[in-house]
Amino acid sequence: MAAAPAELRRAQPLLGTFVEIAASGAPGDVEAAIEAAFGTIARVHRLMSFHEPESDVSRLNRAAGANAVAVDPWTFEVLEAAVDLGRRSAGAFDVSVAPVLQAMGRLPRHGDGESAELAPGRGPAIELMAGHTVRLRDARVRIDLGGIAKGYAVDRAVAVLVQCGAAQGVVNAGGDLKVFGPRPQAIHLRDPRDPRVILDRVEIARGALASSGGRADPVHSWQADTPCVIDPSRATPADTIAGASVMAASCMIADALTKIVMIRGEAAGALLAELGAAALLVSAEGQVSASRDWPGAASHAA
Amino acid sequence: MTDWIRMAAPAALVASLTAPAHAVQYLSIPQAQKLAFPAATRFAPEGGRAWKAQAGDRVLGLFVVDHVIGKHLYIDYAVAIDPGGRIHRVDILQYRESYGGEVRDASWLAQFVGKSSGSALRVGQDIRNISGATLSSHHVTEGVKRILAAYGSRAR
Repeated sequence: MAAAPAELRRAQPLLGTFVEIAASGAPGDVEAAIEAAFGTIARVHRLMSFHEPESDVSRLNRAAGANAVAVDPWTFEVLEAAVDLGRRSAGAFDVSVAPVLQAMGRLPRHGDGESAELAPGRGPAIELMAGHTVRLRDARVRIDLGGIAKGYAVDRAVAVLVQCGAAQGVVNAGGDLKVFGPRPQAIHLRDPRDPRVILDRVEIARGALASSGGRADPVHSWQADTPCVIDPSRATPADTIAGASVMAASCMIADALTKIVMIRGEAAGALLAELGAAALLVSAEGQVSASRDWPGAASHAA
Repeated sequence: MTDWIRMAAPAALVASLTAPAHAVQYLSIPQAQKLAFPAATRFAPEGGRAWKAQAGDRVLGLFVVDHVIGKHLYIDYAVAIDPGGRIHRVDILQYRESYGGEVRDASWLAQFVGKSSGSALRVGQDIRNISGATLSSHHVTEGVKRILAAYGSRAR
């Protein structure tokens, strides 16, 4: 009997959340494709985790203000994108706000002091050099790729699935997700203030969607904690936006743009348009707004 | 400049998922065992929810099933440990969210999903892909550490 196309769903705890991969294709192919895709995500986790002492990120942080460090080409690619997005957003996207998150207890200290001080002159904190070599210019700089690496891992995992012959699927890393294949997929958006509540439903074909907002640990309670995207200009959490979701072609871009929307609010509109992205945001007062090209935005206007 | 559209969806009107939400069943125990140790010919019970993976007489590692049960979340997961006492892989077997309290399914959402007001939205069926607040996997990570401490030396 010829094997019917199989649809498989698997989940593993990676990148600090639950990563779910659903894919369909020829039975043997799709199993192997999903295994390879999880392997790719685990690799991004090993390279870019702030928590893992031997990650590229930790090695860079330990060498801050001192020597340059050779990193994996994948890490370099993410750092290049981070620097580019930092420039395009006039500094709103900044991967060097880790000291603030450390002071808040959101990231481990790894022996760093209590200070939440950010390095001064905070534009060019990261120097990208030839041969995938990187130097953090100031000894106080600590980088955290948490706002972009998850999206990158999703993009990489989808590329692996497609390469391995999967026909259709979704990779979802804690809400940062990408859809591939001919059939659009329905995505439900949780309300950032109450994860039990569904705020919207969109359909995506061949594209990515990422969200930022409160983080919940429903083992204890559905209560989402305060969103923790740091506004680098104030060195405190952005507090005018409760949550944001962004659709874009790339999950890495969508992931990073959610942080920019959390910080800049509607003023991020020009950059969204420039990068071909659409967004839905919930203000701290509870107003839900969508950029004009968000699916269904016009028909649900107030 | 992109302009923004104010959505007619004040927080009080949006729909709630229903309770109890359905489970997502990813893997059965035998499926997860086979994924973790494809070369195994036998999974010998080690007591509790642990099995020794063997290929003939050779021990390939240990397979342990555990769960996180919280107020609103139930996760069944499997940890495979190699003979060196290191984590080989972790798979989620089953994931279930529950909500409790009353159910509200506003017409605002019902119009997208083609469900009548008040009908249930079920995770894993109607709702297959969710974005929004990120759910922490901290408890599974802690559980994996506990399993490694308890069983790490028994995987030989």
